[in-house]
Amino acid sequence: KSKKASSFHEFARNTSDAWDIGDDEDEDFSSSSSSLQTLNSKVAKATAAQVLENHSKLRAKPERAPSAFSDVPTNCKVIKSSSEAQLSRTAEEACVRTPLQKQQSLPLRPVIPLVARISDQNASGAPPMTVREKTRLEKFRQLLSSHNTDLDELRKCSWPGVPREVRPVTWRLLSGYLPANMERRKLTLQRKREEYFGFIQQYYDSRNEEHHQDTYRQIHIDIPRTNPLIPLFQQPLVQEIFERILFIWAIRHPASGYVQGINDLVTPFFVVFLSEYVEEDVENFDVTNLSQDVLRSIEADSFWCMSKLLDGIQDNYTFAQPGIQKKVKALEELVSRIDEQVHNHFRKYEVEYLQFAFRWMNNLLMRELPLRCTIRLWDTYQSEPEGFSHFHLYVCAAFLIKWRKEILDEEDFQGLLMLLQNLPTIHWGNEEIGLLLAEAYRLKYMFADAPNHYRR
Amino acid sequence: MAQEGAAGGSLERHCPTYIYKVVLLGSTAVGKSSLAYRYMKNDFQESLPTVGCSFFTKILRMESATVKLEIWDTAGQEKYHSVCHLYYRGAHAALLVYDITNKETLGRAKQWLKELEKEFLHDEIVIALVGNKTDLAEEREVPTEEGEEFARSRSLLFAETSAKSNHQVKDVFMAVALQLLQREAETAPAPRRGQHVDLGASRARTGCCRV
Repeated sequence: KSKKASSFHEFARNTSDAWDIGDDEDEDFSSSSSSLQTLNSKVAKATAAQVLENHSKLRAKPERAPSAFSDVPTNCKVIKSSSEAQLSRTAEEACVRTPLQKQQSLPLRPVIPLVARISDQNASGAPPMTVREKTRLEKFRQLLSSHNTDLDELRKCSWPGVPREVRPVTWRLLSGYLPANMERRKLTLQRKREEYFGFIQQYYDSRNEEHHQDTYRQIHIDIPRTNPLIPLFQQPLVQEIFERILFIWAIRHPASGYVQGINDLVTPFFVVFLSEYVEEDVENFDVTNLSQDVLRSIEADSFWCMSKLLDGIQDNYTFAQPGIQKKVKALEELVSRIDEQVHNHFRKYEVEYLQFAFRWMNNLLMRELPLRCTIRLWDTYQSEPEGFSHFHLYVCAAFLIKWRKEILDEEDFQGLLMLLQNLPTIHWGNEEIGLLLAEAYRLKYMFADAPNHYRR
Repeated sequence: MAQEGAAGGSLERHCPTYIYKVVLLGSTAVGKSSLAYRYMKNDFQESLPTVGCSFFTKILRMESATVKLEIWDTAGQEKYHSVCHLYYRGAHAALLVYDITNKETLGRAKQWLKELEKEFLHDEIVIALVGNKTDLAEEREVPTEEGEEFARSRSLLFAETSAKSNHQVKDVFMAVALQLLQREAETAPAPRRGQHVDLGASRARTGCCRV
């Protein structure tokens, strides 16, 4: 009778384009994990050897920096091609550990150290680019370097994930921060960065004045607690950057001000823009290695892109957080139509959606997913109309249904809440996010404003 | 809010199980999550600012009963206030947490008390005032006596704790559980979770007991 909502693969077979493109973004793991079923150790050894060989080739002969970064000041140090960066993160580790892992036990998911959560998954084990990936990257480069970037086309290409090499510039464009016109980019960036530092000059000293004291104090308390386990964010310079960004945003948006959760939203931008200048692991990078100019650019760009994001979800953070309340209600309504069984299960055990989904909305699932997944998710959110608000709802629904089996297995309120607050996504990477997004996309088209006849 | 009544006496009549909802309230960064974490995992770690709330359960096997505590750890930022009452609705006990190195946070705890008094009848809820961070003794701004005196004047349980150095954390929760059980005994016969038993004048409030 009721067809299960989560038949991702079936959906994958039936839809060609969105899915098809989605597949090849699964750069690292998917190629190892999707082939796991058939992979035997002989093949694994061969692959490992090839990885090694390609890796050492790359080490020996670094590619040149991608030309798409023409809008970025290059006055600090050589920007290494990220494709090299992804392979070179602690070279020894990459050489020794990954092949070993593959040879020995072929774990379904290698354990990803917590600090590696930032980088796109498993950078050290990334296989050489497939032809498809290369073609895709080429397509991006073409779009990005054309006189007038076709934003619709860029969105279409970005939906299934942006290659990390071109992610920073793509994000600046998708967020609407950078103009599509090539010639105007440099000037815009310059102007916007100056404008931001103008705000700092004008307002930042007021942080200790009485009317801004509470705002600043709250930010000041929260920053060290943002990503507490990642060394990058424990550096004073980085914390100061976050404080400035959040403080300026808060006092320029008095209707909401600073609300806990907003601090998390800076992180993906900061990390992506920083990655442009960092060849090793971002999470352990010492930012004092960067020039003042570069740091300022990263800061200003993060500020503006975060502002653009927040423009779309401001009512999440205004008084009484109406946006969140509305979305949690909408989620409940949606789930009641998509998966009545799960919905009724919640009702039976008196689980209220607000008890778990408040955080999903307030922090855009960032607390539920590793950072690398959030970054991948945001590729799509920035390619979707109203991605962070409307589409996010469908992603939340898909995310919930993804755990339907686990949910239905829990037979009391306590168990359900514990599960819902600690969903096991620690090993998630691009593949899982790809599936999640495909399902969200399907739900959006089946259930958006759809009449109740879809009710099962 | 009650999921099930005191699922008491499932095995033996004389050893019932009680489920109680306990909320942690207080200013931002006073250590609510750390207290919960210490109590649950007997460990200390820097926690992220709580968004909305987090939920834990703990089962206490006491002599006379089994107590299941549902602990709701709430966000401290005032901005979340609008959703907070959703979390403390139906609570059986509240820990009002302040930071002994920050006088303002005691003021905030007092405000919370006012709110609870609006929401709950006098004897409906067990409230403990908790001064956290005794490990930072040299930065102390609130003398022990001040917290204690206030607690006594309002008939609250009182304790000073340190989630970091594991000082009296268990004891606070235990004291709360004991008081809840004591009330249960007073309101017998068949107590049911979440049910508002008529709180007659005969039920003298237990005084402030220092943990």
